[in-house]
Amino acid sequence: MSDLLNVDNLTVRFEVKRGGGWGKKSYLYAVDDISFAVKKGETLAIVGESGSGKTTAALAVARLVKAHSGSVCLGGEDVLQTQDEDLRAFRQKVQFIFQDPYSSLNPRQRAEAIVREPLDSLSNKSAAEKTQIVEGLFQAVGLRPEQQRLFPHQFSGGQRQRIGIARALATQPELIICDEPVSALDVAVQAQILNLLRKLQKDFGLTYLFISHDLGVVQHMSDSIAVMYMGRIVEHADRMSLFTAPRHPYTQALLSAVPTVDRVKRASQKRILIPGDPPDPVNLPKGCRFANRCLVAQELCHRQEPALMSDDNGHRTACHLVS
Amino acid sequence: MMRPLLDVQNLTIELTTRDGVAPVIDDLSFSLNAGETLSFVGESGCGKSMTALALMGLLPANVGRISSGHILFEGADLAQASDARLRKIRGNDISMIFQEPMTSLNPVLTIGEQIAEVLRAHQGLSRKAAWEQAIALLDAVRIPNPKGRAGDYPFQMSGGQRQRAMIAMALACAPKILIADEPTTALDVTVQAQIFDLLGDLRKQTGAAIILITHDMGAVAEMAERMIVMYAGRKAELGPVDQIIDHPRHPYTKGLIECVPHIQSELSSTRHDLVEVPGIVPSLREFGKDQCLFASRCRYLTEACLAGRPKPKEFANAQSADCWHAEEL
Repeated sequence: MSDLLNVDNLTVRFEVKRGGGWGKKSYLYAVDDISFAVKKGETLAIVGESGSGKTTAALAVARLVKAHSGSVCLGGEDVLQTQDEDLRAFRQKVQFIFQDPYSSLNPRQRAEAIVREPLDSLSNKSAAEKTQIVEGLFQAVGLRPEQQRLFPHQFSGGQRQRIGIARALATQPELIICDEPVSALDVAVQAQILNLLRKLQKDFGLTYLFISHDLGVVQHMSDSIAVMYMGRIVEHADRMSLFTAPRHPYTQALLSAVPTVDRVKRASQKRILIPGDPPDPVNLPKGCRFANRCLVAQELCHRQEPALMSDDNGHRTACHLVS
Repeated sequence: MMRPLLDVQNLTIELTTRDGVAPVIDDLSFSLNAGETLSFVGESGCGKSMTALALMGLLPANVGRISSGHILFEGADLAQASDARLRKIRGNDISMIFQEPMTSLNPVLTIGEQIAEVLRAHQGLSRKAAWEQAIALLDAVRIPNPKGRAGDYPFQMSGGQRQRAMIAMALACAPKILIADEPTTALDVTVQAQIFDLLGDLRKQTGAAIILITHDMGAVAEMAERMIVMYAGRKAELGPVDQIIDHPRHPYTKGLIECVPHIQSELSSTRHDLVEVPGIVPSLREFGKDQCLFASRCRYLTEACLAGRPKPKEFANAQSADCWHAEEL
């Protein structure tokens, strides 16, 4: 399968009011020179803890925050170079599912209007066609036709997320960016939404960029995984390699930290506790960004930042100790 | 047999809502032994936090009240205790840490002052002695440079450090019971691992019993010896953690375990759909009905489930499940 999305050297920085003195600006590099590709019909998950830059990366891909440099190519076209007035075609192809189904739906619109809105603003379809599409979408996400007339507050959290998914599907996008789509939902409801997302992917041939901090969910949903730490990708591999043979010390610690009901895993795997907190994102250390918490860090790690290197199978790791 | 540290008998808590009075905790009985970790599991709205608030005597005034039952702590009934007596017990014998450390710390007092306040109020320490003890506590919860950090305000600390400070405060008077209400839900997974490790060590050192409230079965499996699964204000299942995970006897417990994609030790390339628990927790109006409240979401539903509230069925090692079909599962 060919790549649908190619992200190269993407950097997003924010100006911060701190230090610097007169006329000198300091910047927080939320996403710092990351590159990845997503194959058509597959799911790439970006995992990381809060502040790792995963959501900012997703927003930059969707052009919802401004990238500082780099390129984001969707089907060969660099969307970062597209003029604002030409964005309508891009917006049809890329849609977003948000984390919080309570704040991402307009409380004063009926469900049907919420789902129809992308069609109103992005397509040239007739009113009758739109009505038909909306009806189909409600069915596809498992809502009843009569629920179209209801307002968001009349739905449960899981149902609201279904509305958000229907809205994202309205323009028949190629890429859907899911930003923590289930983390605001109750555990028993999460399974309903995850199953729905996988079914829709099969039925419509969707490509997902899946942002999550929940490694269990990621293991279930994705084909490949990029692990971010402090704005950088530290490891990127297919699902099998990353979960069975993680190479970066951060990934290893992250995976071992997840509490599990699997008794075999609990007995066989010693939990790796990483001490301390992440460094100040404005004054990053010179070497590897993980070095100050890394249990196997060497002198070189504090001196020089490792590059993200790929092995023959495309398993990429940014660590001096992995060769 | 030794008398349990805490013995809750037939506790019922009523909440007054616009629609009338609803039993948010409905005839709940359990015991907690000294030094053990007991976990409450369930979705939001099932009564986990309400149980904790009742133990602390912190039910919302004029809205929630204990309508029947007993909370026996070291032989005395907390359900009947006066406010003054409860105030002595809170913080001293039973203390609590909350989900969101940012909103449960006072933003205009330093961490050190907040911990010292507990010591001065409960143990009558002098200002200086309390401050020194606060620094020792911060050290015990592994905050680096405790002397310097005691003068920090909550906003100057990371989420994990704030939760440590909360734990230090809760442990200040060496309580016999520590109630942790979703202590790591707001934290990253590596920080969660640090906090769980810390709680486990502190339990060993102080011998405090822990009541862990969570929705994460993985956390229960790592932390607790026994668990109580709550559904719609009632106990669904109770028993030893490993035994329940291996063989849940209540369909809700089974659903809670199966519906979450857990990280697996053996990964296959084919993936199946997750098991769904359809529907949602019933509204408060449904609480207290004389039937199984899980019936509408259950795949084992029969007529018996709607005809009456299921009685607990007992299994080996004091596992019990409130389900008409528990033996068949």
